[in-house]
Amino acid sequence: MTALKLEKVCKSFGPVKVLHDIDLTVEDGEFVVFVGPSGCGKSTLLRVIAGLEDATSGSVEIVGRDVTTTPPSKRGIAMVFQSYALYPHLTVRGNMELGLKQAKMAKSEIAARVAEASRMLSLDDYLDRRPAELSGGQRQRVAIGRAITREPDLFLFDEPLSNLDAALRMNTRIEIANLHRTIDSAMVYVTHDQIEAMTLADRIVVLRDGRVEQVGSPMDIYNDPDNQFVASFIGSPAMNFVKAAAYGFDKGAVLGIRPEYLTIVDGGRLSGVVTHIERLGAETNLLVALDTDDVLTVRLFGQYSFDVGQKLGVDFDDANALFFDENGQRIR
Amino acid sequence: MNKARRNIWHSVAAHGILLSYTVLALFPVFVILINSFKTRKAIFRNPLQLPGPDTFSTIGYETVLKQGDFFLYFQNSLIVTVVSLFFVLLFGAMAAFALAEYRFKGNALLGLFLALGIMIPIRIGTVAILKMMVASGLVNTLTALILVYTAQGLPLAVFILTEFMKQVSEDLKNAGRIDGLSEYAIFFRLVLPLVRPAMATVAVFNMIPIWNDLWFPLILAPSEATKTLTLGSQVFIGQFVTNWNAVLAALSMAIIPVLVLYVIFSRQLIRGITSGAVK
Amino acid sequence: MQDVKTKPRFKWHIVVFLAPAVLIYTTIMIIPIFNTLGMSFFTDVDNRQVFVGWQNFNTLFGDERWAWHFWNALKNNTWFFMIHMLVQNPVGILLAAILSSPKLRFAAAYRTVVIIPAILSFVIVGFAWKLILSPLWGIAPWLLDSVGLKSLFAPWLGLEEYALTTLSLISVWQFIGIPMLLIYAALLSIPEEVLEAGECDGLTGFSAFWKIKLPLILPSIGIISILTFVGNFNAFDLIYAAQGALAGPHYATDILGTFMYRTFFGNQLQLGDINMGATIASAMFAIILVGVCLYLFAIQRRLRRYQF
Repeated sequence: MTALKLEKVCKSFGPVKVLHDIDLTVEDGEFVVFVGPSGCGKSTLLRVIAGLEDATSGSVEIVGRDVTTTPPSKRGIAMVFQSYALYPHLTVRGNMELGLKQAKMAKSEIAARVAEASRMLSLDDYLDRRPAELSGGQRQRVAIGRAITREPDLFLFDEPLSNLDAALRMNTRIEIANLHRTIDSAMVYVTHDQIEAMTLADRIVVLRDGRVEQVGSPMDIYNDPDNQFVASFIGSPAMNFVKAAAYGFDKGAVLGIRPEYLTIVDGGRLSGVVTHIERLGAETNLLVALDTDDVLTVRLFGQYSFDVGQKLGVDFDDANALFFDENGQRIR
Repeated sequence: MNKARRNIWHSVAAHGILLSYTVLALFPVFVILINSFKTRKAIFRNPLQLPGPDTFSTIGYETVLKQGDFFLYFQNSLIVTVVSLFFVLLFGAMAAFALAEYRFKGNALLGLFLALGIMIPIRIGTVAILKMMVASGLVNTLTALILVYTAQGLPLAVFILTEFMKQVSEDLKNAGRIDGLSEYAIFFRLVLPLVRPAMATVAVFNMIPIWNDLWFPLILAPSEATKTLTLGSQVFIGQFVTNWNAVLAALSMAIIPVLVLYVIFSRQLIRGITSGAVK
Repeated sequence: MQDVKTKPRFKWHIVVFLAPAVLIYTTIMIIPIFNTLGMSFFTDVDNRQVFVGWQNFNTLFGDERWAWHFWNALKNNTWFFMIHMLVQNPVGILLAAILSSPKLRFAAAYRTVVIIPAILSFVIVGFAWKLILSPLWGIAPWLLDSVGLKSLFAPWLGLEEYALTTLSLISVWQFIGIPMLLIYAALLSIPEEVLEAGECDGLTGFSAFWKIKLPLILPSIGIISILTFVGNFNAFDLIYAAQGALAGPHYATDILGTFMYRTFFGNQLQLGDINMGATIASAMFAIILVGVCLYLFAIQRRLRRYQF
């Protein structure tokens, strides 16, 4: 059973069209991540799914029911907001209960659900505290707890990690992945961070300017991008792009090669000069200015002693090269 | 239209209530203004009608202008208000700056002392103030009013401005000090321009109570030469209570300057209130 | 290496910054208040001030004539305040709630209009309403007649039972815009996402207001209430403008402010008595102080200020 089905969803704010004909399905239990640069429409799309915005045209189906005109609380969704949006005047317990009380659920049922969510997220010690007394990470867990108690058909996450500091972010990422394994509901997650996308998703939806650029598993998107935009957005350091013809290839206009597929080899096909070195401990990244005026990023695993200004040779396996036409579309 | 979220009837009801309130708020002003331009008979016969060609008359205004020197009253009000506001802002900002910027013994206590004035009405000390003014020969002068209104406006001004001054970046001030600016220069040239919105709010908050005040002009400066517009219109109405044309004209003349000032500053006032300047 | 020790220079600039404000405030506000309070412990004997301790207060609370006026004024003032609390706050909250609806058209226009009564002087307000409610001019009766309620009309301002309530409502009419805007500002400061979370939880419209918005604006309502209290017990101008210093009819609209004014400066019925006037002022001061302290310690503590 599909948890979510979007058909030709469009959204305009006045004369400005923000979403163009979005078609998408999310299967039951799937973790789908919407990723893309700022302004690509991913948050808007999430809000349309939630019901906080109305689609200008097209339909939204959740678990087989058409919810295009249904209010948010009746769609079977629960949302975790970027700023957590906890009720400041209620305790942690109160925050998790409010929606259930509003739905006139039995007290025993409410207590059971809150207890379960609290146990899952280690919130037992904080149930009687107010949000102002909690740290950022704790507040985020309460926001997730509030979503869990609703036992929704579909979880929605709007950039939940962007307000956390770097160390906390990785731990919370793991917690969210664990959560998905435990609860096994469909989850739609929005982020601009491709690392979160790669590590959490069953499938990634790459968006640009209100359009779906590609949908696929993380590895598919990484290894087999449909166009130049997707190829450059996913992967860090970013893929190198050069004019294919300059290097003797007659297939397509642009050649793309990931930094880790370039090797330093005496007498390699290309030669250049090191202009910049970044030593990260586990990796060494080199910026090499080729004789042809292109600058390539080379990613080496391990520690190496190169110097700025050193001349060296660069080569790669043709099988790892990706080709794009003059419109940025992939030529397979 | 957001189908999933809104109800057209809510909209109708909302506007209905707001419109009723608007009518209620503006009705008295409207009635006064239109009737000030009508003949006496027309005022009584059809109070709600707009002045037409046969009912239009400026006799009320003529009476008023002949009797009291309303332009003098207006001038007095203007001088008192503007000068008081100037001092409230200047001294208030200076004190607020000192309280926000420098650590010294008794800083918190002094702040509390000044804030007391927000809760305590200055009118309680009126008799002593009057004695003071008489003793210093300031009774029946605009200066007396200015001093009183300045004292009255300082507590709230200091309170509000201190909050805003605390938000001015520390780095900016230190950069000024490193550049060799004196503390006074830092205050006047760096900090003051940055708290302009707060100053506008304080100005507007004080402007209206000062302009409309009846108590202190009545007690400290009731002479003809120093009457404010509010006092002048009150006295005038008291004298001419049966001459409806004149009375209505006098009221209109009192309303119009305030309305004009308000229209000019309304955005500032609303922005000030809604920006949380008053906590 | 030279050891240079500079004695910290006295920071003159702090004094300069603080001096004007503190001086004016202390001389014109603080000292006179305490002077006046002090005068209530003296009385005038042959043009000399003689210390009499609590005698004036005994007179004010106990002497037949004085006590009647005092307790009358206090009772009226309390009623005046109650009307404000019962009408100004609920109506203000209602208007603010409506005005803060997202996507309300003409919101800016409504906001501007709402304050207009508050910028009018008491003279204008008092007189305008006297005219409108006057049985002679006939606007009020005419309006009531047009909705078939003519029988309800009475010359309210001239009737002892209704005059005070009428003036209280006029005062509410004048000032309601300002608390309304303050509550409006408080409502606007609630983050949109909290309200959206409420929507997802099924809280919309009325229930969203009761369960989310109202608890979060309680601190503002508290502040407005205490400011109304201070303002009401300090009020004078409207009553004076509408009913005169004698606060007729037969002192039915007499509040502490008018009582104090009349006592200080005298009127056609009696000479001014500075010491008794000061005594009344002390009583007013005490009442306001008690109210404010009660508020600060009992209520303010319980109202949380929410950081967003």
